[in-house]
Amino acid sequence: MPYAWAEGRDAAPGEPGAVRTLRLWPFRSLPPAGFALFFAATAALAALPLLLVLGTAVLWFVLVPMVAVVAGTWWALRLTYRSAEVEEELVVRPDRLTLTRRERRGGERRWEANPHWVRAALHPRGGPVPNYLTLSGAGRTVEIGAFLSEEERVALKAEIEDALRRAR
Amino acid sequence: MADAAIHDHGHQDHPGFFTRWFMSTNHKDIGILYLWVSGVAGFVAVAFTVYMRMELMYPGVQYMCLEGARLFPAADPTTCTPNGHLWNILITYHGILMMFFVVIPALFGGFGNFLMPLQIGAPDMAFPRMNNLSFWLYVAGTSLGVASMLAPGGDGQTGAGVGWVMYPPLSTSDGGMAMDLAIFAVHLSGASSILGAINMITTFLNMRAPGMTLFKVPLFAWSIFVTAWLILLALPVLAGAITMLLTDRNFGTTFFQPSGGGDPVLYQHILWFFGHPEVYIVIIPGFGIISHVIATFSRKPIFGYLPMVWAMIAIGALGFVVWAHHMYTAGMSLTQQSYFMLATMVIAVPTGVKIFSWIATMWGGSVEFKTPMLWAMGFIFLFTVGGVTGIVLSQAAVDRVYHDTYYVVAHFHYVMSLGAVFAIFAGIYFYLPKLTGKMIPEWAGRTHFVLMFVGANITFFPQHFLGRQGMPRRYIDYPEAFATWNYVSSIGAFIAFASFLFFIVVLFWVLLTKPRTAPANPWNEWADTLEWTLPSPPPAHTFEVLPTREQWDRHPHADKTAH
Repeated sequence: MPYAWAEGRDAAPGEPGAVRTLRLWPFRSLPPAGFALFFAATAALAALPLLLVLGTAVLWFVLVPMVAVVAGTWWALRLTYRSAEVEEELVVRPDRLTLTRRERRGGERRWEANPHWVRAALHPRGGPVPNYLTLSGAGRTVEIGAFLSEEERVALKAEIEDALRRAR
Repeated sequence: MADAAIHDHGHQDHPGFFTRWFMSTNHKDIGILYLWVSGVAGFVAVAFTVYMRMELMYPGVQYMCLEGARLFPAADPTTCTPNGHLWNILITYHGILMMFFVVIPALFGGFGNFLMPLQIGAPDMAFPRMNNLSFWLYVAGTSLGVASMLAPGGDGQTGAGVGWVMYPPLSTSDGGMAMDLAIFAVHLSGASSILGAINMITTFLNMRAPGMTLFKVPLFAWSIFVTAWLILLALPVLAGAITMLLTDRNFGTTFFQPSGGGDPVLYQHILWFFGHPEVYIVIIPGFGIISHVIATFSRKPIFGYLPMVWAMIAIGALGFVVWAHHMYTAGMSLTQQSYFMLATMVIAVPTGVKIFSWIATMWGGSVEFKTPMLWAMGFIFLFTVGGVTGIVLSQAAVDRVYHDTYYVVAHFHYVMSLGAVFAIFAGIYFYLPKLTGKMIPEWAGRTHFVLMFVGANITFFPQHFLGRQGMPRRYIDYPEAFATWNYVSSIGAFIAFASFLFFIVVLFWVLLTKPRTAPANPWNEWADTLEWTLPSPPPAHTFEVLPTREQWDRHPHADKTAH
């Protein structure tokens, strides 16, 4: 589930009522432990031909391409993680709804509205993805969770509406 | 803030022919391109073998004459001086083409590109433009390989006749530039494979559909991942070895020259450290295809999925610690030979797990003898024969007798030429409806299979006898005593080649005249991986919305009991 609610954080000083925070991020299938395991196994086997030619000038001819290739794989996998560094954060306060979108490039974008007037809408068709989920308020319509799966957006709409109801 | 974009986005790209096929970043189009180019390279490499078998059909040299290569034997044999260089060229480029430019691009580049992202529910490869680069590096490498054959080489003729393994000192003293071009060809092929492997690994690890944990991934996608991992670890070693050949040839280094303190046997160690994983790189994607075909046409899930995956990983890992069994006669201590012999025999265990799991999958299933299944069963038979002779050859003592004889030729053609090629054909018959929406008629597929199976066995089985009689490999001629089985072997090669020509005609006939009528799943509900949920052929863009578990985790037997 690439989204999570941070339940019932106590209100910070000066804030009225409870605050609920929703974080959303795109799905990536390799957990950090898998990343570590893959490179541990790869490095172990990559060391084998290097041991074979250790102490000779031949080492450099094997070492350089080997390091380049393993580093290239490392970099490629990190790149797919970095492309997933799109994060959306929805903070629901009784008097204010804040949606923050952080992208790797382009920094941070923010939208604020009054939860009393915000409406969530699900567009089964017509959006860039099926079950496109939007929030409308403060004169703008913004998307949320476009990178989630269809079912997740259906579930998320209900959860956001529930959070809005509780905030009101 | 990302403002909502609610509008009809019915626009679909319709690239022109040039844009689609020459600038493609679409994994399906690139997969098809790989299959075409490897098919052309394969035809060239197979044509060489037919010419070689013509020459070996009778004792004496009838075709490869210094006076000029002939297509018809001369009436007067005294007018033909044997041209050993031409023979060396043919065996060398047959090997180089088949190892680097035919089988790996077809299975890993072709089927891997097309099917692996579909099976894991990814919209495309992780790096589509790098995928395009891999393909064109491969084309450039193939062109360089062919150019090398035509460039001035040793013996005052064209081409480098040093064998695909390029052992020094022969390869470092070969004249002309053909050898350098061959080295560059292998460099480019290696770069292409490595970029492809990085792409496949990243895609496989980080772009699987939600919920598809590693041990839920279909076996073909797994086989591609294991292959990519082997490429990643083996190809850099080869790149280093041939770079040293290049500097020995051109810059006066003496890595492999005893006169300068170098060691030619060291090259053999480095080459085979790459070379043995290489043969698993060739065959493991075949394992993946065969598993799907066997399960589909036995109407059962594959027997022992988890052992099947671990067997592939074990075969891949063991492949890195057995290289010196190619070099028993090159001079090693008894301890070294004992180790490499035992380690080699251990590979029979995971390989046996796979063979017996395929048989157990068929056991008690409702086996349907459709064309892909025939090829898959042919694969199991031939691969087992090749595997058994592999165990024979793994014994250091026995290898003293068999080393560099036709027994070895028979062994590796049974596992690779027949094993991998039968897997490719099983894949073509199984997936052609998915690739193109067109089905090859059963009668044509069966005819092709029967001819090829009979032809291939008649070609290679007698070569075991020749090897036991002591006929060495890589010679243009042989004494009278080896005539019988060479004659039989050549007849088999002609039958196999006839089946290949028949297949080419059938393929073009199907592609040019048949309508695209294949349903999404033309086989049965046991073809249950994600690619079969898509139309045949699939649209240009697939799984832009990640597939759900119900799509990829289907249980046909549950449907059956519900009916």
